[in-house]
Amino acid sequence: MRRFPLLGILLTLFIALTLALTACGEEERPAVGPEPTAAATDFPVTVTRSDGHELTIAEAPQRIASLSPAATEVLYAVGAGPQIVATDLQSDYPAEAGNTTKLDAFQPNLEAIAGVEADLIIIASNQDDIVQALDRLGETVLFLEVPETIDGVMEQVRLLARASGHAEEGERLAQEMKERIEAVTGRLADVEEGPRVYHELDTTFFTVAPNSFVGDFYNLLKARNIAEGAPTAYPQLSQEEILDRDPEVIILADADAGESPQTVKARPGWGVISAVKNDRIYVLDPDVVSRPGPRMVEGLEQLARFLYPEKFP
Amino acid sequence: MRRARTLPVPDPHADAFAGKEAFALPGVRPLRVHLLLALVAVLAAVLVGASQGSVDIPFTTVVRILVSKVLGLGSVTWPETWEEIIWQIRLPRVLLAGLVGATLAFSGAAYQGILRNPLADPYLIGVAAGAGLGATIVLVSPLPYAFGTLSLLPPAAFVGAVLAVSISYGLARSGGVAPNVTLILAGVAVSAAATSAMSFLIMANHERVATVLSWLLGGFNTATWQKVGIVLPYSLVGGVAVLASARLLNVLQLDEEEAQQLGVPVERVKLLVIVAASLATAAAVSVSGLIGFVGLIVPHTVRLLWGFDYRRLVPMSMAVGAVFLILADLAARSVLSPSEVPVGVITALCGAPFFLWLLRRHRPACSAGRRAVF
Repeated sequence: MRRFPLLGILLTLFIALTLALTACGEEERPAVGPEPTAAATDFPVTVTRSDGHELTIAEAPQRIASLSPAATEVLYAVGAGPQIVATDLQSDYPAEAGNTTKLDAFQPNLEAIAGVEADLIIIASNQDDIVQALDRLGETVLFLEVPETIDGVMEQVRLLARASGHAEEGERLAQEMKERIEAVTGRLADVEEGPRVYHELDTTFFTVAPNSFVGDFYNLLKARNIAEGAPTAYPQLSQEEILDRDPEVIILADADAGESPQTVKARPGWGVISAVKNDRIYVLDPDVVSRPGPRMVEGLEQLARFLYPEKFP
Repeated sequence: MRRARTLPVPDPHADAFAGKEAFALPGVRPLRVHLLLALVAVLAAVLVGASQGSVDIPFTTVVRILVSKVLGLGSVTWPETWEEIIWQIRLPRVLLAGLVGATLAFSGAAYQGILRNPLADPYLIGVAAGAGLGATIVLVSPLPYAFGTLSLLPPAAFVGAVLAVSISYGLARSGGVAPNVTLILAGVAVSAAATSAMSFLIMANHERVATVLSWLLGGFNTATWQKVGIVLPYSLVGGVAVLASARLLNVLQLDEEEAQQLGVPVERVKLLVIVAASLATAAAVSVSGLIGFVGLIVPHTVRLLWGFDYRRLVPMSMAVGAVFLILADLAARSVLSPSEVPVGVITALCGAPFFLWLLRRHRPACSAGRRAVF
């Protein structure tokens, strides 16, 4: 060894590093909590995926990976939080989701997803055929596309709750959401036709048509969406059409781009619009309504206050 | 423009040019007539563009609104909304489309002439990719990109475009010359680098992908008089510079060495035309996004119809570009009413078949012209 001091040092370093890394690796995998968080008795559970495939989940999942921000919110809301080991980059609510291993749902990395060794993987968007790829690896993949209606959200809340072993909590949450929605719609029973509304998604006048998820909120609130009759769910309106259809309320979902009631009022020609004349331009946090999760009820209540300030003081 | 008709062909290269109509197709009308017709066509397109749209406003009312606004005549008998639609939304939109169309077309002609490459368009040496990267950086940044009515998008796109072209030119230039092939290759490389940076930013911020894509495809839905004001000075100065270089562009078509021997300061002309066309294109792109096809196809269409003389090609390209983009934008805002279709989709969808038809119809006449560079 004296003739190769460098080699000796390197060898020692190598061994030390290997030991350290192995130790880290072992530490990284948390032991399954002593108290079972999911109701094991309900299993096996069979659910239908968005691609029509029947998925049987044999046992209560203990390591869930959620590649859907909406599903993440639902799982935490039904008490499946402790089972979640990984979430996608967009899952930023609740804050605890930030402490899980982060995965990319938009450009999914098969190796990274398989590497978290989840016993239930929830995917909302089949990017690059990731669902089939994970199926082939024998993973338990619950492929659930984003629901397009409010009823669809309730259904998914129940389904996710069942799949994670929290059927009872799911039922409770869905019931609570339903009651809050009915509390809103109940007050609108005597409304024949609500105000004309323009929901602005971005500064080039993309909006939501009645057949989109956010559009469904306005349907429920009896508002007359000025994008009615558009050929797509998220159409770009001609500026002259917005002036002609004269919205009585403008909802801004693009405040993060710098838009505000003031900038809308300053747009050339927009002074003729009723919403501008009557100062009825409101800023909405787009996450609350565009994410089909439990918080959408808050979004609905907020929109109700914007559309009917006299009924929702 | 009178000069163009009476200009004697310089003697030293008389054999190469063989008369002032050497570049023109047989039976082509005098330039003055063409320019007059072009002006009429542009004005007609503006009127059609301003009077048609997804909102139905009677033609006579449109004319009366315009007359009352421009000349201050007549009494207001129409809804205020109509006046705002015509004056604040449609007219600036039509004028911006015309201005951008003219700018892209003359810049395309200038690039094709200076680089002596039929595939050249105003985006070739970095304008598009640079502007796209500049705009994307602003769009994906967590900061708001508009402060009051002041948007950061146009300046960012403009700076990106100018930087990219400058880098391309700087890389290509050595010993006082920037050979065409080197310039094109440098432009392609710089564009590729900027585009991949842009793609990465889009993927990393995919919640903004619709907004970025919508900007990249281009359009005039957010046109304002302010935007017309932004582009106008660049287009005017660039247009005049390219028009003034038309004769030199003709000479350059021979061969750079020959042109040099004839006393044309090739490198200086090249730099001037590139700067003029790039600044004008950068300004156009900064307010309208990346509208493809116009800068490539319009100059070729003009060549096929009226010949290769740049003194005719440049002004006619301006007119055809303006008319084409005004009509394409009219289609963009009417066909799926109340929705918009990206105007770039229309320009390619309508322009490509028309151009192919023209190409087939004129092929014999074309090859009978001068040597088949274009």
